[in-house]
Amino acid sequence: MLEAFEILTTSGVVLWSKSYAPVGAHVVNSLINDVFIEEKVQIQAANAVYPVYKKEKYTLKWKRVKEFNLIFVAVYQSLLHLGWIDKLLDNISTLFIDIYKDQLRSTRARVVEYPFDRYFEQQVRELEDNSAPINSEGVVTSAEQKKDPLVSSEHGGPPPPSVPGLLQAQRHAAPGVATSDEGTPPQTPDTSRSTTPVASQILTARGGPGGRVSRRARKAANASANVSSGDESIRKGKTPKGGKKMRKWDADGYADEDDGTVLDYSAPADGDEAAAPAVEAVAQDSWGHRTGKGQFVLKDLGDEVHSILENADSEKAKNTSTGLVGSGFNAIGGLFRNIVGGKVLTESDLEKPLKAMEDHLLKKNVAREAAVRLCDGVQRELVGKKTGNFQSVDAALRLAMESSLRKILTPTSSLDLLREIDTVTSPTSKQQSPRPYVISIVGVNGVGKSTNLGKICYFLLQNNYRVLIAACDTFRSGAVEQLRVHARNLKELSVRENVGQVELYEKGYGKDAANVAKDAVEYGAANKFDVVLIDTAGRRHNDQRLMSSLEKFGKFAKPDKIFMVGEALVGTDSVMQARNFNQAFGTGRNLDGFIISKCDTVGDMVGTLVSMVHATGIPIVFLGVGQHYGDLRGLSVPWAVSLLMK
Amino acid sequence: MESHADWRSIGGIATSLLDGNPIAIAITAFVAFGLPILLHLIFYQTVASPPSSNFLLLGPSGAGKTALLSLLEAKSSPLAKKQTQLTHTSQTSILTTVSLPASVPTASNRYRSANDPSLKDTSRNPVKYRVRDTPGHGKLRGPHGISQLSSMSDSKDSKSKLRGVIFTVDTAALSDVEVLRDTASYLYDVLLILQKRALNKGKSSLKVASEIPILVAANKQDLFTALPPGSVLEKLEAEIDKIRKSKSKSLMDASVDASMGDGDDDILGSSDAQDTFSFKLLEDEVGVRVDVVGGAVKGDEGSDFGSGVRKWEEWVGQCL
Repeated sequence: MLEAFEILTTSGVVLWSKSYAPVGAHVVNSLINDVFIEEKVQIQAANAVYPVYKKEKYTLKWKRVKEFNLIFVAVYQSLLHLGWIDKLLDNISTLFIDIYKDQLRSTRARVVEYPFDRYFEQQVRELEDNSAPINSEGVVTSAEQKKDPLVSSEHGGPPPPSVPGLLQAQRHAAPGVATSDEGTPPQTPDTSRSTTPVASQILTARGGPGGRVSRRARKAANASANVSSGDESIRKGKTPKGGKKMRKWDADGYADEDDGTVLDYSAPADGDEAAAPAVEAVAQDSWGHRTGKGQFVLKDLGDEVHSILENADSEKAKNTSTGLVGSGFNAIGGLFRNIVGGKVLTESDLEKPLKAMEDHLLKKNVAREAAVRLCDGVQRELVGKKTGNFQSVDAALRLAMESSLRKILTPTSSLDLLREIDTVTSPTSKQQSPRPYVISIVGVNGVGKSTNLGKICYFLLQNNYRVLIAACDTFRSGAVEQLRVHARNLKELSVRENVGQVELYEKGYGKDAANVAKDAVEYGAANKFDVVLIDTAGRRHNDQRLMSSLEKFGKFAKPDKIFMVGEALVGTDSVMQARNFNQAFGTGRNLDGFIISKCDTVGDMVGTLVSMVHATGIPIVFLGVGQHYGDLRGLSVPWAVSLLMK
Repeated sequence: MESHADWRSIGGIATSLLDGNPIAIAITAFVAFGLPILLHLIFYQTVASPPSSNFLLLGPSGAGKTALLSLLEAKSSPLAKKQTQLTHTSQTSILTTVSLPASVPTASNRYRSANDPSLKDTSRNPVKYRVRDTPGHGKLRGPHGISQLSSMSDSKDSKSKLRGVIFTVDTAALSDVEVLRDTASYLYDVLLILQKRALNKGKSSLKVASEIPILVAANKQDLFTALPPGSVLEKLEAEIDKIRKSKSKSLMDASVDASMGDGDDDILGSSDAQDTFSFKLLEDEVGVRVDVVGGAVKGDEGSDFGSGVRKWEEWVGQCL
């Protein structure tokens, strides 16, 4: 069963929502965060029309309507396979936009109330019925037949006038609802004499003073409505028998003319505004009409919905057909608009410039996968949008690409390494005992792990930390000596500048790196070091044997931060590197950031930055920009974007 | 008046218009009096100039910016339903016009007497201002919140001039270290931009810079775990102080090499990093006023609709 359905704007306001079971707001929030903002989840439109997002036990499907900046989200339990959700999203979005077009365009779109419940319920029922063909169709109708005469004959007083009143009031939006609610209850209690009608009466009348009455009444009303409308929709396809069947119903005791009026009113389905008051008037003179009338209004709803949907469909068909006929005219207009602006972008407009943009990105050393994704994202964003005044398609595309590059590069939360070290080494609360902050550095061979470790160490020394360097590359000959040189240089520098302290922890070659790392952390804790920097052996990311030892390493050393060093020189391979290293630490542990080295050697071809972030969604922390200890920089997003767009 | 026979020829029409024909007089009078009124209606009614005072809603995700905005919007519209609206994480910013309740005094009416007839006028025609809501998600702060702030605060155009910044804070979650850090670093960025602006104004011209005060709206005071505004202030000050200290020692950006380095401006508050930071000091040294006021978008059950934001509205009134 459907758990919830929400209609929200991109600015975050929920315009209308309906929930059948309490679904925490965080479910939809995480959809927005993961899919729309961080784009962590790749949208796969494999078998379904609309993309799927899973969170906890819920599955979410959504549809975006760019013209009105609306998002329609359906939430249901993952256990269930509801095939009709796509159709529901389609129909509801068409209906909602069609009905509330004017309100949505106005400035007050966010405060207006949208009495959409009945349309929604009608749709849900109808689609549910269609998907699982209910065999008891006849039974339901016969039950209806039985019930209706009962209600109408056994009643002495005026039967429930609440349904039409309510429905009509709803049509006129917010203020009316309250009054019609209050009007209902006093009429009913005195009329109930027999047992059967009481039940049905109470259905509509219970909980009078509250707002709940409307919901209940509507539900009760819809229950019968949907049966009839469902019938009708089925019959519509075959023969125009629907009218006859309807006549039979009420012919039990009541004249055909009753149905005549019913059918009369149902014909101008869209002109409901005018029709409803007239029916009210009919209802007032004799109560016999009311059973029929109750159905009439409800049937009218089904008709209204269908006519809207059909209109939308035919509009679509028309659009595609005129596309062929008026293409010549459109082409001229399009050329003109391309210069002046105000052109609504289509996929064919964007095809060429997007290709050019993709080539441009590839030239900047962005991996193909990332470039394609960026272009797809930009295309999705731009199709259906209007260009600004005197803005060409290219300019619009450029702007959109810049903003999506900025979005992909900007980290969700900025890393302040020094502050984090401070909180770990000198915790404010009493529960935590001070311990050294552990940073480990991983990467492919020869990307500059040790060099960058030296740079970070220098930076930490400048800030007066006591740093322990752990040589956990126990594999490659010369690795420990290399670090020893770094340590000696740094010690020299720190003594000269009178800042910080540095020491090297080494255990020679051939030992298990994870154990050495663990010992180093213990040594660091015992000797009151602030930071432990762990250097690891370089490994090829596609060598399963070497990569598997990283998981053990992560468990033993328990690093606070794992940085991966990647070169700016590497091209398409960066995606796989980042991905494999990110997965190497097992479940529940990921990389914490990238250090991109050798940025000074690539000029403006800094596409690796984008590729790596694209592959993992993990931010870039530092850039290596030179040969000296001081040549370590933080990432500046505007700088990177301007280089990429140059 | 026999000339009415000549309506068919052009000359006849001209003739009949020029003599004392009552129809002609009526038409002329109608055009003469009606046209100005019509033009007035067209130009002033449809394109009602938007109010020139803007406020910017900033704050981390989940602090209640969009909820506050929709509450203000609902309060200023008579038709709206009187209940707080559900909101989710925003992806785009929205600009909307809301009106101040008549009971809230504005700063421009400070010197008016209580019996001033023009005060009565405001109850019929409330003061309007514009509020821009921004998304608070980490990835969207740069392109939306921060860039809006810097463009609005620097703009010469009086239409988009910024009167104040409302920075919402989730007081119930602030005791969590992560949330506090995130909130404080965002606030730090905001204050830094305002400080740069204030200092630049002082340098370039001596005219009094219209200052942009900040309201730290301590939201969600209705919750049990909420911190009182005073302690919110202390926590934020302490955290900003930490950020300031670590920023002063931190690495440079990759872009620094390109532009010339002017390191002094990049640190909030006094240039001496050893001082502890406080909002009071910031006001004294730089002239950026920060107020911390408690409130709640979602009020208690019993209280009036939107009564929890009354204090914030008063603050807004003081800025107008």
